[in-house]
Amino acid sequence: MFQMLNEKERNEKGLLREDAKSLRKLTREQLAELEEREKTPREKMMDLIITVLPAVVLAISLLEYTIMPDVNPNPMRHIYTVVLAIVFVAYTAAFILGKIKESKGDKKLIRSLRYRAPLYAAIAAILTLYDILTIKTNYFTYPLVPCVNSIMYAAWTDRAELLRCASHTLVLMFKGYGLGVVLGLITGITCGYSRKVNYWIDPILKFMGPIPISTWIPIIAVLSPSLSGGALFIIVVGVWTAVTNASRAGVANVDKAYFDAAKILGASERQLIFKVAIPAAMPNIMAGMTQGMMTACTAIMVAEMMGVKGGLGWYITWVKSWALYNNMFASLFIICLIFTIVTKILNMVKNRVLRWQIGVTK
Amino acid sequence: MAVVLKLDGVSKSFARVEKNDITNALENINLEMHSGEFISLVGTSGCGKSTMLRLIAGLITPTTGTLTVNGEKIEGPATSRGMMFQQHTLFPWLTVEKNIAFADTMAGKNKEQASVDEVNRMLKVIGLENFRVDYPAQLSGGMQQRVALARSLICKPEILLLDEPLGALDSFTRMNMQDEILNLWKENKQLVIMVTHDVDEAIYMGTKVLVMEPHPGRINNIIDIDLEYPRNRASSKFVEYRRQILDLLHFGQKED
Repeated sequence: MFQMLNEKERNEKGLLREDAKSLRKLTREQLAELEEREKTPREKMMDLIITVLPAVVLAISLLEYTIMPDVNPNPMRHIYTVVLAIVFVAYTAAFILGKIKESKGDKKLIRSLRYRAPLYAAIAAILTLYDILTIKTNYFTYPLVPCVNSIMYAAWTDRAELLRCASHTLVLMFKGYGLGVVLGLITGITCGYSRKVNYWIDPILKFMGPIPISTWIPIIAVLSPSLSGGALFIIVVGVWTAVTNASRAGVANVDKAYFDAAKILGASERQLIFKVAIPAAMPNIMAGMTQGMMTACTAIMVAEMMGVKGGLGWYITWVKSWALYNNMFASLFIICLIFTIVTKILNMVKNRVLRWQIGVTK
Repeated sequence: MAVVLKLDGVSKSFARVEKNDITNALENINLEMHSGEFISLVGTSGCGKSTMLRLIAGLITPTTGTLTVNGEKIEGPATSRGMMFQQHTLFPWLTVEKNIAFADTMAGKNKEQASVDEVNRMLKVIGLENFRVDYPAQLSGGMQQRVALARSLICKPEILLLDEPLGALDSFTRMNMQDEILNLWKENKQLVIMVTHDVDEAIYMGTKVLVMEPHPGRINNIIDIDLEYPRNRASSKFVEYRRQILDLLHFGQKED
């Protein structure tokens, strides 16, 4: 006979007490874990192998580098050994810590390692292969393609100059990007909001927008006595265009219903802009800022390589003319590193600002 | 405070997008409404129900005629006239409690203890105390409308305008919300004007049902609903009112 158990009966049977009540106090991770399908022993084994893989590949890489003989000169050859060893120890330590935490029920670290492991293993494998193709076999001709250790050696010996150049690049980037974003937000938001302002700004955008960054260089060289001022100009123009376009579109497309609702709740003209239009346009504004950052990175490199006497872009062209290929690669890596970090920070800001979008968009 | 809302020869026309002429959304409306009344506006689509609410809210200006509250002309929106829309229009970037406190934030008094207390009270009234720091997108449709209701009630409006507030809800949530709105209205005795497509809802909630006609929008009839709250949807009088209103809306002929 079909009969529903009432709450009291379920309580007596221990069903509600044990399951449902503890359910009410779950954390987000516990919930995800609970709803996840149980893994088969085979899958668990695969997980373990994949998570250990980076350590294995790093160990192979370490052995390969130290045991195989170098065919080309390689001063201070153990910088790379030490770096590899540190990475190996760090990863292994993280893995052991993750396993210990897992046994105590905290799976966060081990999951994160499992997620990153394939990428880390691939990077380590590529580095090993690269090392064999350069210093160990000279398949890539020395000194045009230097091995990792030579690049690190070059970076270390010329560290003072590289640091100076890096800070020069960073300063120029922050000035240009900051100014471009501020100006872009002001014009973009006012254009989105006011047709009159848009009437005057829109032609400028249409005119300046399609001009590629590098086109400005000869013009700047003629018009501006100092190229660093000119470099700042092209970065600002690039960032300004991107941010203006995006924030203008964002503000202009804010759902009218939000303005109606805010007006009824007593918002003034000013509050409509700052409390409704800008937050509503934030996804667009952030997209514009990301786009602007890419433009800024391109612009700064173009400017430094074509005239500005300083910065990593200048350093690259300068060491190339002296055939210092190790240094060239070293600065390239530093440029990559800087741009990656800057983009990462911007992304973190974006995720923080747009937290409310979780669940609204994919 | 008791208020009297007067519409004096109000007409509203809109320019059409495609052709160079106009649509007459409302024509020569004369009405008087008082505090404590619950006016249901019914009518087929295009009869100017929403336009009337937007005029009273002050979101749009009439083409001719005047709207007054206690003799004062309505010019632009004011917090004394709250409004709730069919779509909740909650600000997706603000949490539930910040949405409710929005009017106070605009007035610059959201940090005051009185405002904090009032937001807490509202959260309790709508039963969403556990969702205060969630964003609107994480709530169900019924919860979102409850937050929207709380948000429009926080500045204690003398006139509450409801533009199909329950149109997007499922029928159970809808019936619950009808009672919730009625309770709040009985407590505060504002003037409530509600647009609805649902004749049952209009009779169940309104002290008066205003039947409108389209092309151009005008008032066809005003029916006083002489029933005690809470009303029984199946009582013979209720059914009689429904028949009468459906007749006025030209949906009644098929019965005979």
